[in-house]
Amino acid sequence: MKITDLKKQQGSFLLNVKNAQFEAGKVHGIIGANGSGKTTLSKIIMGTLPYDSGSIDYEGLTDRDITMTGQRPYLMHTSVYNNLIYPLKVRNRRIDENLVDYWLEKAGLQDKKKQYALSLSSGEQQKLSFIRALIFKPKLVIVDETLSNLDPDSADLFERLILEQQQKDPITWITISHQLVHIRKICDMVHFMEKGNIIEKATPQEMFVNPTNPSVIKYLASTEVSFKG
Amino acid sequence: MFENLFSDYSLTVGMLDSIKVTLIMSVCSTTISSVLGVFLAIMLEKHNFKGKKLVVRINRTLMGAPPVVIGLLTYILLRKKGPLGDLRWVFTIKGMVVAQTLIITPIICGMVYSYLVRTAPKIRAFAKTMGADKWQTDKLILSEIKNEIYFSIVTGFGRSISEVGAVMLVGGNIKNRTRTMTTAISTLKSAGEFEAGIVLGIILMIMAFIVQSLADYIRKEATEDENY
Ligand SMILES: Nc1ncnc2c1ncn2[C@@H]1O[C@H](COP(=O)(O)OP(=O)(O)OP(=O)(O)O)[C@@H](O)[C@H]1O
Ligand SMILES: [Mg+2]
Repeated sequence: MKITDLKKQQGSFLLNVKNAQFEAGKVHGIIGANGSGKTTLSKIIMGTLPYDSGSIDYEGLTDRDITMTGQRPYLMHTSVYNNLIYPLKVRNRRIDENLVDYWLEKAGLQDKKKQYALSLSSGEQQKLSFIRALIFKPKLVIVDETLSNLDPDSADLFERLILEQQQKDPITWITISHQLVHIRKICDMVHFMEKGNIIEKATPQEMFVNPTNPSVIKYLASTEVSFKG
Repeated sequence: MFENLFSDYSLTVGMLDSIKVTLIMSVCSTTISSVLGVFLAIMLEKHNFKGKKLVVRINRTLMGAPPVVIGLLTYILLRKKGPLGDLRWVFTIKGMVVAQTLIITPIICGMVYSYLVRTAPKIRAFAKTMGADKWQTDKLILSEIKNEIYFSIVTGFGRSISEVGAVMLVGGNIKNRTRTMTTAISTLKSAGEFEAGIVLGIILMIMAFIVQSLADYIRKEATEDENY
């Protein structure tokens, strides 16, 4: 997917992405300070927010290939099960109960299948929205801080889930997170956003171990995690 | 006490028929208003057009408009020499249903519209991430606010059974034909039959109580939903 001269004015904030490329089949990370425009960009890519000018080349991806889970995922006013199968119903696919159970188990929600989705804890809600985004085999998944409330074990589990998926059947991921350890482990490419633009794109190694861009150095210095060594 | 329903003056006033008329009228007008109100609310939320703000404000005004004024307008339209006089709906249940539909539709439309304004954009964005088409998205929005829709319908029904002014003007309070429970009460009062009036009043209150309990039950469900 390729973005050229994308502009969007939002109040006093201007999103202005000159050039960005998200190669297919790779895990992309977007990092950057609060308010740098990560969520705005991802909504535009998803198509839920219109943009003012510029272009996005989806390279053949259609509406039904792309999905996104947000910072505060939307859950339908119904059971966990009904939430999970919704994307399958939308596509008129047969409901494979084994597949449903497989994903519920992955998320540790097998006992909560019949529970009312909005009564789940916030971490459980995030897990549910994550597996709901994967169950229909999308080609591009945007994950906007969806996994920020997970306990360390669950976070590890989901990292492994993403890596597993990439080995089996690679899809394109755009993950947004402030947890740089997580970004570093799963991403093939990291994009750094500042003031509405992507100003640096590098492998995790280059971005975190040998950063050259002064803004990136400053951003990393302010985070408490050390990546050296 | 309820033997009053079968006494002489009950027959004279037509108390039993007034219960029937009230139910027929309220069920009909609430059903029509629900379909119209929900449909208009969806259209209003979905489309942006010049003057939309004004339409919303007029809707809000109609929600609080005195029913007797709507009754008067309906009467003027339906009376023999009025523009719709050929229908011969004045002093019939049909005419009363028209007046009540004009009163209740704005209430249901306004309530549903305000729920939609709050929730539809979120639901629409979510539906997009799930790959839903336009039709599936509309279906999802309706099912997501179904509790709120039930609640506004129940509110409309409550208004309908308790309204006096418009049904009096348009229906004419004709015994056994267009006399409702509320207009029967005012007739009984004029005749000095307070005891019978109170009986009818109590039945009306019980009906309102049942409807209100239903509304509370639905609202409780709805707020539990938001309690996460
Ligand atoms: N509807 C809006 N009206 C005006 N300004 C907005 C609107 N939505 C977002 N903004 C502004 O756009 C900027 C970018 O917001 P965005 O949510 O994209 O940041 P972000 O990089 O995702 O931040 P975070 O790390 O906190 O999630 C912010 O300054 C925000 O205040
Ligand atoms: Mg954000």
